[in-house]
Order: sequence, then C-alpha cells, then structure tokens
Amino acid sequence: MKIIKLIFMSILFQSLFALTGIELAQLVDDRESPKDMKSNMSMVLTNKNGKTRTSKIRSYSKDDNKKQILWFLAPADDKGVAYLKIEHENKNDDMKLWLPNFKKIRRISSRKKSESFMGSDMSYEDMTSRNMDEYTYSISGEEIINNEDCYILESVPNGIKTEYSKHKSWITKDTHLPIKEESYDKNGKLLKSKSIIYQQIKEYNIMKELHVKNVQRNHQTILKFDNIEVDSGIKDNIFHEKNLKRMPK
Amino acid sequence: MKSWLSQQVLTHPKRLIIVNVLFTILFAYGLKWLVIDDNFMNMLPKDIESRRVWEEVETEFGSSEMMFIAFGNSGKSIYHQESFKTVWDLTELLEKSPFVDEVISISSMNRMESDDGFMEVDDLQSERILSTEAIQDIKKYLDKNPDIKARVIGKSGDFMSLAVRPIDNEVTLFTNDVLAVTKALLTDYEVHYAGTSYITGVVPEIIQKDVSSLMGIGIIIMVIMLLANLRNISAVAMVMLIIMMSMVSMLGSMGWIFHLTGIEYFHFTMMNTSMPIVLLTIANSDGVHFITRFFREVRKKGNVNEAVTTSLNALFLPIFLTSLTTAVAFMTLISSPIKHMTGYGIAIAFGILWAWILSITILPSIIVLKKWDLNSAALSQSSYLERWIEKLGQKIIMVPKRVLTFGAVLVFIVSFGLWKVNVEVNVIKFFKPGNPIRESSEFIDRELTGSMSLLFKCTGDMKDPHVLNDMLLIQEKAESFPQSNTSISIADVIKSMHKVVMDDDPKYETIPETRGKINNLFTMYSISGDPDDFSSLVDYNYETGLITSLLNSISTNESVEMVTELESFIEKNVTSDLEIKISGMVVFLRDFVDLVVRSSFISIGLSIIIIFIIAWIFFGSFRWGLLSVIPLVSAIILNFGLMGHFEVHLSHMTALLTSIIIGVGVDFAIHYIAEFRRNSRRGYSIDEVSVKTTEDVGYPILLDVASNMGFAALLFSALIPLNYMGGLMVFAMISTSLGTLTLLATIVEIFKKHLYNK
Repeated sequence: MKIIKLIFMSILFQSLFALTGIELAQLVDDRESPKDMKSNMSMVLTNKNGKTRTSKIRSYSKDDNKKQILWFLAPADDKGVAYLKIEHENKNDDMKLWLPNFKKIRRISSRKKSESFMGSDMSYEDMTSRNMDEYTYSISGEEIINNEDCYILESVPNGIKTEYSKHKSWITKDTHLPIKEESYDKNGKLLKSKSIIYQQIKEYNIMKELHVKNVQRNHQTILKFDNIEVDSGIKDNIFHEKNLKRMPK
Repeated sequence: MKSWLSQQVLTHPKRLIIVNVLFTILFAYGLKWLVIDDNFMNMLPKDIESRRVWEEVETEFGSSEMMFIAFGNSGKSIYHQESFKTVWDLTELLEKSPFVDEVISISSMNRMESDDGFMEVDDLQSERILSTEAIQDIKKYLDKNPDIKARVIGKSGDFMSLAVRPIDNEVTLFTNDVLAVTKALLTDYEVHYAGTSYITGVVPEIIQKDVSSLMGIGIIIMVIMLLANLRNISAVAMVMLIIMMSMVSMLGSMGWIFHLTGIEYFHFTMMNTSMPIVLLTIANSDGVHFITRFFREVRKKGNVNEAVTTSLNALFLPIFLTSLTTAVAFMTLISSPIKHMTGYGIAIAFGILWAWILSITILPSIIVLKKWDLNSAALSQSSYLERWIEKLGQKIIMVPKRVLTFGAVLVFIVSFGLWKVNVEVNVIKFFKPGNPIRESSEFIDRELTGSMSLLFKCTGDMKDPHVLNDMLLIQEKAESFPQSNTSISIADVIKSMHKVVMDDDPKYETIPETRGKINNLFTMYSISGDPDDFSSLVDYNYETGLITSLLNSISTNESVEMVTELESFIEKNVTSDLEIKISGMVVFLRDFVDLVVRSSFISIGLSIIIIFIIAWIFFGSFRWGLLSVIPLVSAIILNFGLMGHFEVHLSHMTALLTSIIIGVGVDFAIHYIAEFRRNSRRGYSIDEVSVKTTEDVGYPILLDVASNMGFAALLFSALIPLNYMGGLMVFAMISTSLGTLTLLATIVEIFKKHLYNK
C-alpha cells in the first residue's frame, strides 16, 4: 500500500512540476546573449554533386543580430564586397551592399523570407529569432543526443507566413541550448536538419559550429566561427554604409 | 530422327502431349518475373557521344526535356484573376509530385528590377488571389521583358504556359502524374501538352492500347480466314494452340532469363511490342503448313496415321530449316545498338524454336488422338483457295520466262528508288495529322517557345566577359534559325542584372567589361535572391554554362543542318577559351537514328548471308543456297525502293522493323525448295515437278499470307510506327510469298535441268 501511495505521489509531483512546451521555449528565449559580437566566419557550401564553395567573412553584430555588417575576405573574387543589415520593427529591413568593382552601394531587398542567405541552406527566416507568440509549443519526448540529455520541443506556427509546418528542437535539459533541429516543409516532409556546437565565452554559450543540411536539395552548409569577441562595445555608428567600403581596424 | 518421331507420335501421343504441356508450363512460369518496362529512355544507348554530352548536361543542370502545359480559352485574355489562381494551384500541386524536379510558371518565377535605388528580387506572382492592379503590374513587367513573357504567356495573350522538369528519366510515371493533376484542375480550360518527356511518356501507353486492341482484331481475322479455308474448328483450334503455347513460352523465357541473369535487356519494352505479332505469324505458318499437308495427305490416303507420318516426313526438314534460319536471323539483332534488341532476338529465337518443336510433336499427337470424320468437306474436298492456287501455279509455270522477266523488270525499276531513300525522323510526325498530341505540339510551337531544345554545353570561365559575350553571339546565331523561338543562358541573366544595378538604364543591358563586376553581380544575387535560380544555367563553380535554344519540333535532317551551321559558326567566330559541345534529344536522335539504320542494314545483310549458308549446308548445294534468298532479297529491294519512290522517310523504326520482318518472309522459299527436291526424288518427272511443288506448297503459303492480313488493322493506329509495323508485315508477307511463287518458281522451272534431283 505504501508503495502504491509513493508511486501515486511521484506521478502527481511530476505532473504538477513538469515543464510545458511554452515554458521550455521561454527558457530557451531567456538565455543570456551578448550585447554585441565580432567574429570571423567561414562558410563551406557543398552541393549534391559534392562540389564546394568556401567563403570567409568578418562579421560585426549587435542587438541579437538586428544590426549586422559583413566584410567578405575570401574567395579572392568576393574580397571587398560588404553587406549591411539593420532590422526594423515596423518597416522593411535596410539591406545595403557595397560592390567594389562598380564602386556603388546598392540597396537590396528580398521580400521572400524563404530565400537562401548568401547561397547557404539558411534562409532569412532561419536567421531571424522566432517570436514566442507566433508558435504553439509542446514537448514531444526526451532523448540523449551526443551524451546530452534533451527535451524534444515541437514548435508549430500559428498561421504566420512561413516555409515550415513544424520544427522539432532538441534542447539540453541543463543549459536549455538547442543542439539539434529538424524543420519540416508545408507537406510535413523533413526539409532541413541542423546541428549546433557551442563554446563558452564569458558567461555566454556562443555558437561555434553550425551544420545545416537541406535534405530535399541534398545541399549542405557548414558555418564555423572563430576569433570571437563578445561585449567589446561595438558602437552603433559602425553599422553605417560608409563602413562598407573599408573594414575598421 | 524423323522415323523415331513418327513412331513416338503414333504410339505415345498422350505422353508427347503431357511432356510438351509440362515444359510449356515451366517456361510460362517465367512470366512471374517478366518486367514490363515502358520507360522509353531506358532503351536508348548510352555510348553515343551526343548522349554522353546530353547526360553530362542533365547531371549538372537537371533534365533538359521538359513537359509543356498550356491552358486558356482561345480569344479570351489570360490576364484574369481565375487564371492566376489556377496557375498558382497547379504549380503548387505539381511541385508536390515526387516525379517533378521543377515547375517554371508565372507563380514560380522571380522578378528582378530596380525600384527607386533598390535592387529587388521578388516573386513574379506574390499571392494566389491577385487584385486587378497586381495583374496589370505583372502584365507590365512581362511586356517589359519579352523573353520571360514568351516562356509563360502565349503570343495571343490567351494562354498561360508551364514548363515542368522531370526529376529523372522516369518519364512515364512523371507524365501520368502530371496529367492526373492537370486534368483534375484544368476542367474549365482548353489544355495543350507538348515536349519530348510528355511524348516519350504517353507513347508507350498508346502503343500498348493500340497493339492490344488492333492485334485482337488481327487474331479474329486470322481465325476467320483459317476457318474459311480449313473448314474445321478443331484444326483452327490446334493452330491457335501452337501459337498460344509458343507465345507464353517466349514471354516466360524472358522472365526466366532476367530472373537468372538479372540482365535488363530481357525486360519487355516498347520495342518488344512487335514480338507477339511476329511470333504469332511464324507459329501460325508452322501450324498452317502441317495442318494443310495433313488434310492433303489424308484426302489421298484415307488414313490418319499414314497421313501424319507422311506429313511429318515431308515437313520435318523444311519446318526445321525455316525455324532455324528465322531464329538465326533474329539472333543477328544482338549486334543492334539498342541493347534491348539482344533480349528481343534471343527470346524470339527461343519462341520460334519452341513453336517448331510443338508443331512436330504436340500438333501431330493431337491429330492422331482426334477422331476425324474423313467424309467431311474439310478432309474430302479442296478449299476454294487451294483450287485457285493450283490453277495459278500451272499458269505461272506455263509461261516462266514471261513471269520472270516481268518480276525482274519490276524489281529492277523499283531498285532505283533505293538511292532516293532518305533517313529522317520528326518525333511529332509519329502521330497522324489531326491527332490531338500532334496538334497540341504544333500549338505550343506556334504560340509559345516550342517544345524541343538544343543544348550548348559551354566549358570555360563563366565570369569572364569575353566568354559571356561569345555565348551571346552563339545565342544570336541560334535564334536566327526560323525553327528557333528563343534561347536562354547565364549571359542573359548577367545582362539583366547589369541593367538593374545601373538603375535600369537600358544601355547597360550588356555584359560588364570586367570579371570583377560580373563576380559582384553574382554575389549580389546570392544575397538578394536564391542562387538556385541559376542552377539550370551555370554549374556550382561557374566553370560550365548551358545555353538552351528553344525550338519548334524539328526533324533529324533539320537538326543536322542547324548543328552543322552552328558548329561552323562557332569555329569561325568564338575567340575566347570556350569549349562548346552541342547536344540534346534532337542531336542524340540524329546520331541514334543513323546508328540504328546502319546497324539494321548490317543485320539485314548478315541475315541474308546466314540464311544462304544454312540453306547451302542443308540442301547440300550452292545453287539452292542462292535461290533460297532470291524472294527475300527482291522483297527487300521492293520495300526500300518503293519507300524511296514514294518519299516515305526511313526512320530507325522502319529500318528496325524491316530487319525484324525479314524473319517472317524467309520461310516460303525454303518450303518451296524442300518440296521441289522432295518431289524430284519421289519420282515426279522433270516436267511435272514444278507444277506439283506449287500445288503442294502454294496453298499453305497463300493461306499463311491470307490469315496474316488481319495485321493490316495496325494501319488504323494513331501512331505511324504502328502503321509501319502493320504495313510492313502485310508487305513482307505478300512480297515474299509472291517472290517465291513467281520469281523463285519460274527460275527453278527455267533451270530445272540443273536443279532436278540435286
């Protein structure tokens, strides 16, 4: 009888204090992130025939990537090209590109959020943080991935314009970091699979490597970050078109 | 052997029947593994240079053979909310198909323009339901970009077009899937389909349907003709039994060989469609010869067993020889560049030899077991055809020189047509004028950008302005041909991007002067658009580009002219380090047709030589060997000569069918020669031997021909290749039988002193 009582109490305790989907999503969203970040980024794209393209980029970003400036360092063909993006809440984002051979700054626009970012498997939508209110969250299970005990969080969009029907994210139980994600297209078929490796810099868990595979196109992107500096006090005036022409020292 | 067989037939007929039925069941069991492969692309040889280039292009840039769908209502503007809703839905549904790689339509295309200092890449159709203003905006953009407009809107503005790219070469599954989607959605519109992938996708089904229905008519006519002449249902049923047993054994053998070896040349493909018809004819010939001989002998002898023995003695060698020569003639198909013809040749050779065994074992055994009414009309009286051929035979033999001269002069005159034979294929002309598929293709050729394409694989630095300008030069030349509608390459996109980046100033619609600028444009697009948009134009590392010239349906000769002129133009005018290879379905077809025609002629020549050698060996005389091929050679001269005179183009289909149908026509001469030799040894005098021979073999030959006339039903098919099949079958039967009963019979009569008792 005592054992039955114990089991009953245990189930009651678990159901009363178990984490809900929205709570887990909130925990992920509440993670501390740096105010600004400088890094060198290498991006390797591999197509279905195994051909690769490699780019090296210097990146400055601020306010959760809402302000970002990129200078292309390699390949030699792209050296000197620079890109500036400033996101706005109530109007279209500002995107400007310095084309050194034309000696022109062009404003560019892509209304298609599903378009790929710089030929990678990341779309502009993938690079924007998800608004908590726009998704319904649930925990569909638990799994150990790379020796990390994870919750599986499912996020289903609430009628917003998106290329996905669902995301499944593997969130570490202790640090609440998404280390793996699967995104499904509107027909419910797996479209992209991502895996993320972090490193600890100061008090932050910063992305060190991101592997994205578009399963349907059989195309892959590997992003690696190094020379990472956080909270170095990047000023707002860095995100200005005059800095596109020349990388600050 | 003959006497042993006769003894077995007379003493153990049931045992022979059971053994043969068991073997037939064993062979037929192979049907379980028979694979029906209706994918036309699988049949095409892969070791032709143009195919290799074409495959390289398809591996890098995706399938080049699109299916085109045009929908609208004649005379009614397509710029309408409903049409845009439909194209949106259709594009979405088609993109979901597992067989579709890409859909190019208004709703899937991008627009790229400069707007108040912005370089903007956006969907051409941004939403499913559009306002009148949005539709007008699209119309304005398309009017400003006529090359893009030509790909999606008909010239009269009343049709919208989609181009659908298959994911691989599974064209039949692809076409069926696309048709299912479109037919359900486009109920309120006139719809036209075109493109090589569509035609190759639908043709196998049409062939299967037409062959099965028209062949059914052919078999019914065959049964009627046999009944009218044999006047005995059991006899007709026996002939049909031999046909059916050999047919299932042949098809079963293909299944068995594939099961045991895994060689896919033994799949039943579109090319194998003629196999049942050919075997039916050959097995019918064996059965008809035996039954008519038996009837003739039983009429004379009044005893079934004696008649069976005599028939077996008389026909053992000729049926064996006709089967052997026909089987060997089919085996020469092993040399065909279409590797599936290897399976065709081997399987049909097996079917022929099995039909021979059945004709000399099971057929006489059933005859022995059956209780015959010797007083019935069938057994006691000659048929009308039999009496007629006896009279005709006598007349021909009476004036041999006149008949021979007439025949030889005819063959001689017709032979001049051989030099006029023209090798020419236009896929769309496989369909009769007025056929919906042909009309739809012609509509798309007329109203849109055409349904065929010529591909230029350009290897070089795709960021080099010199290279890109050379590509534009080639495009300009390609577009100067009247068959060409438009062309597209990465150079066009670079031109457009250059204009857009220079504030839409039309004077910058050119290739930028430096490599750096071109690279900047590519980088700019990679940030603002999807680089996948270029995947059908340039490879991943910008080392290979593709120019696609969209053409109307053209023939192989037109493609030869175009490609030759273009190659010479490229040789003289391209000055950059650009390496160009021209390919595509139309170029491949040109090389393929040439190859098939050449190899078919080799196969025909080889068959004649082999038949001559076999006849020489078995008849033990060079003269008989030579005479055995005379009807066949004259029939071939008549066939190709008449094609030349009447300007019927020789295609890979007609060449291949002719080499196949030779097998059907070889039998008659061998029957005639075997019977002549037999009669001359049986004591008939030198003056009566020819008449007697014509009496003996003339009737079965003509009955065989008459019963096969049903295949003329294939002339009513919508597909011209099937018309050829029916026409050639009828022509081969008539020409070889007449060749035997006139040319061969008169030569033998004229030279009888040298041939009697030889």
